[in-house]
Amino acid sequence: MTAASAPGLRQLQRWFASVTTHPEGVLEGRLSARRSQKLERLVTPGPRLSAIDGVQIYNDGYFVRLVECLTDDYPALSYALGEEAFSELARAYIAQHPSRSRSLNAYGQHLAAFCRTRAEPWSAFAADLARLEWALVEVVHEPASESLRPDALATIPAARWQTARLLPSPGLRLLGFDYPVNDFFQAFRDERAPQLPERAPSATVVYRQGPALWRMGLEPRAALLLKDLLASVPLAIAIATLEARSQATGTSEELTRLLPQWLGSWVQSGFFRGVELA
Amino acid sequence: MSRFAPDSRGNPTAVPAQLLFERASKIMIERFGFPHLGIGVGLRTTHYREILEQWPAVDWFEVLSENFMHTRGRPLEILDQLAEHYPLVMHGVSLSIGSTDPLDWDYLRELKALRERIGAHWVSDHLCWTGVASRNTHDLLPLPFTEEALLHTARRVREVQNFLEAPLVLENPSSYVEFAGTPLKEWEFLKGVVELSDSGILLDVNNVYVSAKNHGFDPEAYLAALPMDRVVQIHVAGHTDYGTHAIDTHVGPVPDPVWRLLARARELGANAPVLLEWDAEIPPFAVVHAEAERAREFLGQVAVAGAA
Repeated sequence: MTAASAPGLRQLQRWFASVTTHPEGVLEGRLSARRSQKLERLVTPGPRLSAIDGVQIYNDGYFVRLVECLTDDYPALSYALGEEAFSELARAYIAQHPSRSRSLNAYGQHLAAFCRTRAEPWSAFAADLARLEWALVEVVHEPASESLRPDALATIPAARWQTARLLPSPGLRLLGFDYPVNDFFQAFRDERAPQLPERAPSATVVYRQGPALWRMGLEPRAALLLKDLLASVPLAIAIATLEARSQATGTSEELTRLLPQWLGSWVQSGFFRGVELA
Repeated sequence: MSRFAPDSRGNPTAVPAQLLFERASKIMIERFGFPHLGIGVGLRTTHYREILEQWPAVDWFEVLSENFMHTRGRPLEILDQLAEHYPLVMHGVSLSIGSTDPLDWDYLRELKALRERIGAHWVSDHLCWTGVASRNTHDLLPLPFTEEALLHTARRVREVQNFLEAPLVLENPSSYVEFAGTPLKEWEFLKGVVELSDSGILLDVNNVYVSAKNHGFDPEAYLAALPMDRVVQIHVAGHTDYGTHAIDTHVGPVPDPVWRLLARARELGANAPVLLEWDAEIPPFAVVHAEAERAREFLGQVAVAGAA
């Protein structure tokens, strides 16, 4: 090739990137005779490797690397769908969401939303499970923080509960689901070969305590209370709202017993980093 | 003022052409004065638990820079603990120094902050590009060995070094294709970039072996052409040989021909710390460490060129 006919660096890089990231591969995506000729004009064959096969190594590597990244972040979803369906989902995701970051730490962040767009019988369940698994990834990357002391709530004067707001720890996520995905995830972790579950609403908190990651299932009333607290609703108001609902359903007595258990457990688990007494 | 100190502390600016062509001092300080750290191991997440529980006697670790960027959480907490016990160096895979996209100053700011946080002895990345048009392939893509690419890359290395206020250390990647119509050989390109930009070399002898097989050149001739006084660090690793070609998979023990290239590099004057990379089918840490320690056998067998 003469210097005059050789493409400039920018042009060459744009061409090479388009070929090596083509979802259908170098052969499938670029085998029109003209494009194949271009590849063989721009790339020198090795002693035992054709130019097309050499470029295909980069194309294979691109998808293998990103599928592996998604599999690492979504092991339960990969199990739930099976290797083939998950790989197909991942490759479609990669085609729609090319990485624009220098780091792969957040590459899979859109997978739950992407699952919802798929016209598959498992789409809604997959989206829920992906949200749970992504919350685990997010929490890993949140900083550790000081936790509220276990006796902290007891030290708040009764008059201040009207305005006291609990400050959530950064490594905490409250998630509501249409499927019991935390149970599914636990069964997967325990290698109990879970089947795709029936639809049933659930709520889970994902949180960090020191280096360890935890998941805590919440009953609906506890989830409502925690949701209010995380939204900076003052303690007394959040509790009063829940009590009003319980009176309507005739479960006030039970709530009186459960409330201190929930709050104690959440404080003990480091859900909060402090109390703001306005 | 160090050679890499910026002219101002403001926003980075392009390096004037005359600076680019200002040749390095004729008296090259071996490894830029960086310490000889000994035999190291590439830190991998699968070994965190073993290392944090057993604190094995390892000379030093190389950490993958991007694993500790875009995070404020656990990865940094672990790295902080390791930095208290071991010498660390940073090895990146996304600088994309040869790309025609603009340099990513947010990335560089985070890279510099990470280096300061953990006191890494040096920062390395690859002589390649990883993406273009704002997309990252997360692969080490080959550059054409042309004068245009050489000057473009050397200019960017200078800019990065000025910003980091430290020499950048560039690794020769493995490659599976070469572009047609390129007048330079890979070793000429590497030598040209590091000399024009006054940067260091991370000599990966496994990559030399893999590329030599894929492109049919003599790996020893490659080594003989390099300015060994610029070699700051050496990588060894395993690869997968498919007969028609080899792929840099970092799997398994280091094959003998790669160890022999390490010994040859040492003969030619590369007196630099050696690090083992193991990235696929990773065994327990003790196995990886024992494999890395084999480097001592090969380094002990030869005298350094020019040494008394």
